[in-house]
Amino acid sequence: MSSKHTKQVIDQFSNSEISINFVNGFKATFIRNIRIIWQYKFSLLIGFVNTFTVASLFYYVANLVPNQLISQDNYIVSSIPFIFAGSMLVDISTRILMKSMNSFTSEIKQGTFETLATRPFGLKRYFLSEITFEVFYGLFFSLIYYIPVLLIFPIFQGIEVDVYSVLSFLLLIVFVFLFFFSLSLLAANITILVKRGREISMVIIGIIHLLSGSLFPLSLFPEWLRIIAYFSPMTLAVQAFRLCLFGGGTVGDFSVWMAIILLAVSSLIILLLFNVTYKKIYKRIRTKGTIHEY
Amino acid sequence: MTIFLNLITIIMYFFFSKLNPDLTIFGISSSYLEFVFLGLCLQMIIGTTLATVCGSLYNEIVTGTWSTLLLNFNFLEYSIGNTLAGVSLSSVSVIIALLLASLFMGSFYVVSFQEILLILVLFLLILLSHMVISMLFTSFTIYYQKNSGLIPLLYQLTKTFTGVVFPIALLKGFPLFLSRILPLTYGLEALQAIALSETIDWKLILTNSGILVGMIIILGILSYFLVSWSIQNSKSNNKVDWY
Repeated sequence: MSSKHTKQVIDQFSNSEISINFVNGFKATFIRNIRIIWQYKFSLLIGFVNTFTVASLFYYVANLVPNQLISQDNYIVSSIPFIFAGSMLVDISTRILMKSMNSFTSEIKQGTFETLATRPFGLKRYFLSEITFEVFYGLFFSLIYYIPVLLIFPIFQGIEVDVYSVLSFLLLIVFVFLFFFSLSLLAANITILVKRGREISMVIIGIIHLLSGSLFPLSLFPEWLRIIAYFSPMTLAVQAFRLCLFGGGTVGDFSVWMAIILLAVSSLIILLLFNVTYKKIYKRIRTKGTIHEY
Repeated sequence: MTIFLNLITIIMYFFFSKLNPDLTIFGISSSYLEFVFLGLCLQMIIGTTLATVCGSLYNEIVTGTWSTLLLNFNFLEYSIGNTLAGVSLSSVSVIIALLLASLFMGSFYVVSFQEILLILVLFLLILLSHMVISMLFTSFTIYYQKNSGLIPLLYQLTKTFTGVVFPIALLKGFPLFLSRILPLTYGLEALQAIALSETIDWKLILTNSGILVGMIIILGILSYFLVSWSIQNSKSNNKVDWY
């Protein structure tokens, strides 16, 4: 078959009349994933116990801080909510990335990715719907896991937050998840090329955890590392998140609006990168014939 | 990648140690960095030991080599061989992390020859106790032809409740009970008594070693029996090559 014919076949797949619209495709992906989740009831229970155990770890570690007090951005707070808040935000966000990567790795490993890639729905649309689903899935289950954990450990009891801080905090959260949505898209794209989704996400998560200062205030970093740390949008996001919770921070504060802008700009850049690399990567795996490999 | 992730964990706790957590109130005379470093290094190797036998066998089932393996199969040999290979590989990353950390964070742990021998014996007991746990979960994998998913959970429990990053004296009630049924608690307690104390507490070391030996014997026999039973079940129901 000549390259002209190959192109015709691909065009037929991409623009065929039988190609369903995005909403129906998204719905199909959603229902399919819900059915898959239902088969893993036991895994959900393990997920909760795992979250509880991680929360316990941070709770006990925070108890070791002298006087159990930490100061940052002109506020002083107990080390337990300080460490817990930072670690919880990083944990929930990175869980989204991990879930997306695991999902893509499983598709490639089990061989279903090859079929999905040739569906008339289109691979790019599949990427978008799958990652969107994983973001909502990660958020939903994080809430399910963390609500009982926060009831068992009444960590944020006694902390008063005004309405403006809550609204700023929610706005910040939206941008954090937007950032992880775009990061997951790009990482998934790279996964289909290098076939190592879990490893990619582990490395990103490790760097984000260290640089965000989830366990300690950033003032403990040497100057050079603090500069590097601020290249990660999550560093400022964690700082702003804590400021809204413990220091009465609002969008009017430098670290909060700067975090939001940084997250928005990073997300935009990552989405553009995804768009540019997607075509190249898809073309490369097709021409090299590695779409089915793992 | 393992070296990189291990280093990230060590660096995180290195900066946390700059908050000067005081361990003397828990009866530990060393600094927090010395305390946590020992636990983290052990935790990294234990993770591999726990996952190796069960994970390798699951891969054999998925890739189809399991049916061939059964023709000339000795489960104990298979477990020891795989664990040794896994531990050797993970030890390389731990040794590199240890060297780098000692280089950049200052050297610690001054131990005598006698203490090195004691540490080696304890290390072996810790490895064996986690290997038999992995063997126990393998019986589930053989019987149901699927991964139980319990190993990562057990690893997370081990990381949290055995005194790796904080002293177990902080624990009360159920978490303390949980801590006392995990083998690493006894191993780590004994290792800390050797590496972090000026005098060796023989009573504690002998008691904890005895508990570890007991766990190895009981869990080892139980896992061997369950694995044999699961293999028998697979053979009699003709589902060796299933997945």
